[in-house]
Amino acid sequence: MELGPVFRAVMHQKGRFWLVALEVAITLAIVVNCVNLALDLKAKYSRPTGLAEEEILVVRIDPFAPEFSEEDYRDVVRERDLEALRALPGVRAATAIHQVPLSGGGSATGRRARGTEDEPSTTPYFVVSSGAIEALGVELVAGRDFTEAELAMDTEDFEGETTPAIVSRAHAEKVFGDPAPLGKVMESTTGESSEYVVGVVDRMPNSWPDNEENAEYAVLMSGRPGSARRAYYLVRAEPGAVEAVFPMLDEAVLGVEPGRIVEVETMVDVKRDTFSANHALVKILSAIIALLVFVTGLGVVGLTSFSVTQRRRQIGTRRALGATRGAILRYFLVENWLVIGLGLVLGVGLTYGLNYALAEAAAAPKLGWELLAGGAALLWAAGLAAALWPAVRATRVAPVVATRTV
Amino acid sequence: MLAYQLRIAAASLRRTPVLSALLVAGIALGVAVATTFVTTFHVMASDPIPDKSRQLFYVQVDNWTPERPWDRDRPEEPPDQLSWRDSQNLLASALPTRQTASFKADLTVHPASRDERPFRALTRVTRPDFFEMFEVPFLYGGPWDEAAEADRAPVVVLDEETNRKLFGGEDSVGETVRIEDRPFTVVGVVAPWSPRPKFFDVTNGALEDPEALYVPLSLTPEMEIRTTGNTSNWKPWDGEEFADFLESESIWLQMWVELPTAEARQEYEDFLAAYVREQQAVGRLTRPVNNRLRDVREWMTVSEVVPPEAKTMLIIGLLFLLVCAINLVGILLGKFLGRAPEVGVRRALGASRGAVFAQHLVECEVVGLLGGAVGIVLSAVVLRVLNRLFSEDLELFALDLTMLGAGVALALVAGLVAGLYPAWRICRVAPATYLKQQ
Repeated sequence: MELGPVFRAVMHQKGRFWLVALEVAITLAIVVNCVNLALDLKAKYSRPTGLAEEEILVVRIDPFAPEFSEEDYRDVVRERDLEALRALPGVRAATAIHQVPLSGGGSATGRRARGTEDEPSTTPYFVVSSGAIEALGVELVAGRDFTEAELAMDTEDFEGETTPAIVSRAHAEKVFGDPAPLGKVMESTTGESSEYVVGVVDRMPNSWPDNEENAEYAVLMSGRPGSARRAYYLVRAEPGAVEAVFPMLDEAVLGVEPGRIVEVETMVDVKRDTFSANHALVKILSAIIALLVFVTGLGVVGLTSFSVTQRRRQIGTRRALGATRGAILRYFLVENWLVIGLGLVLGVGLTYGLNYALAEAAAAPKLGWELLAGGAALLWAAGLAAALWPAVRATRVAPVVATRTV
Repeated sequence: MLAYQLRIAAASLRRTPVLSALLVAGIALGVAVATTFVTTFHVMASDPIPDKSRQLFYVQVDNWTPERPWDRDRPEEPPDQLSWRDSQNLLASALPTRQTASFKADLTVHPASRDERPFRALTRVTRPDFFEMFEVPFLYGGPWDEAAEADRAPVVVLDEETNRKLFGGEDSVGETVRIEDRPFTVVGVVAPWSPRPKFFDVTNGALEDPEALYVPLSLTPEMEIRTTGNTSNWKPWDGEEFADFLESESIWLQMWVELPTAEARQEYEDFLAAYVREQQAVGRLTRPVNNRLRDVREWMTVSEVVPPEAKTMLIIGLLFLLVCAINLVGILLGKFLGRAPEVGVRRALGASRGAVFAQHLVECEVVGLLGGAVGIVLSAVVLRVLNRLFSEDLELFALDLTMLGAGVALALVAGLVAGLYPAWRICRVAPATYLKQQ
């Protein structure tokens, strides 16, 4: 291999080669960091939530009829609503819930295991009526669902007493250090509110799925969800029946009591809205990566072309002295290989530097070496591809060129 | 001299049209990406009310439990909102030139026509000072007056869109609209207005549009208006009634005061401290005195209005432009050195190094400016796409004059950075070498 002469030629022309190396280095730093960010964002919204997301429809109710200020009236309407919803063809289950999972807005409180002095854990909770487990599509892995008696009880009956709860496994492990803490009690720091665990679901999301730390902490509490101002129903359709069920829901509910504003949304849309900024950013980052690789590719094409043009006579001379086309091609590819390689070595440092800076300025995720290796391989391949066309052109220089200007 | 250099630069660029187009495209791409992210950052980090941001102060009082601070990660910080009780007590002060406590609610509006379904409208429940304090522009009418506020009068200010929906965009002052359970009289219509960030309530979405309706704060107790914004509390309140909620330590209101001078500010600070001590004497506010009076900019910084992603994208956008500039250096170097024989002749005929250097730098700046112009147009297009990506109906990001200036400046700097080295190289060409060859 003619590494020696190639290297000396590069050193002779160092200004421009250093430039391309620097360009490759910065490109590597940006590309790898962008991919890292994009993957992190993507992981957040493609993480399985445990819900039957594709089959759930969210019905938002805003009552305006004055009767809704009466709790008894709301109880009657809720039961009749659920009955009407469940009777629709294609509906598999329906439940009332006081907040919508994955929606970005909800309630949370603090709980710790009774008898401990632990720091209370963040405890996002959902007050639900009957049918919640099936409507959510979550999997009960230990214990049981709420009983009829538990669901029928008024929250005020529980005053000072402990109420039933179904917890997500992640939350059970956090609070009790036990994946199936059936019968155990958790409480607020003051001890004024407490719940005993009757069941554990495998996985259940809360309202803040973008919060890395506690996205899987969730607790279902039995009760009578819905206030004078707002109520939600989750309706789970049979697989594939979501579109058919969608237009029937508001009429079904308004048929029971017209004094309300009803809006229906699919759970898929709810989740997409919550993650809209994430989706947008992933698209932006992908566009930047593509553009940047393109721009750097252009730079490599420019450099190699120039290098070829400047050395037409030299190439001609070499060809006249017996160098094959393959040898000429190899020469330029090796040259390119050296410059890009230099850039990539520089780039490793820059990449980690940028990652550190971004982590400091904007809490960017840490970078794994696999990504860096992948990014380097990608740029290497792109660089070689970009150099190929000018290098092939170099091989077409006729040996006779050598004689022309002598 | 400059005109001459510009003429030569134009001639030089025309001689190699493909290469020139490539140069301009390269810089345009860089400027487009950089301007886009500078703009998004600027929108989030800009001062929403520059002529008054030093006179408007956000009021914070620490009413949290002695057991733990409001924010465990920043234990020195008092809670970010006020309770009804504290805000009502503080509003009794006559010290501020203007003041308001406000919150966001969701109210049902019943259109007059029977065919239309009632709809929910986001509402700012606030005091009349709100409008003048925050320089809200009016299309028709104006704010309600202090008497209406004191009398709990059912009056409403609509935004332009709601006025269009309800009254076809006509001057609706004096008309009646049913909101919740009672008829309200329209007193004003706000002209399109959306400060970015929405500084008066950053706790509930700093990039959202202002609310559609404005109603008096004094109506809150009797209409039992609940906030749809964040509510935090450290203990459950006693009782079930709305009045009990109002009496509780739940925090859900944002309070602002206008204090035009440093003395006024000092006076108000003393008043706040005295108020807290007075409450402590009756057994409330058990944490150490920890009040804050922050002006608009301070409050934007403390509440971290600029999302980390915006900073990330800003850094990445500028680096992108740097790559484009380096790319340009390579191409320009090739182009200039290819012209070395010609420059050799010019030098031999008496052109100074400085003249050659300046000539080539001008050419680079021409490329930079052309690229900048194309880049800014591109950026405007990209920003429209971004608006669509982030939200269906929000005009979040737009280029303004400052951003146009920033785009041009970026283009010029990129042209300069890219041109320096090639221009320096070419001006050091020794004439003799090239003269000999020819």
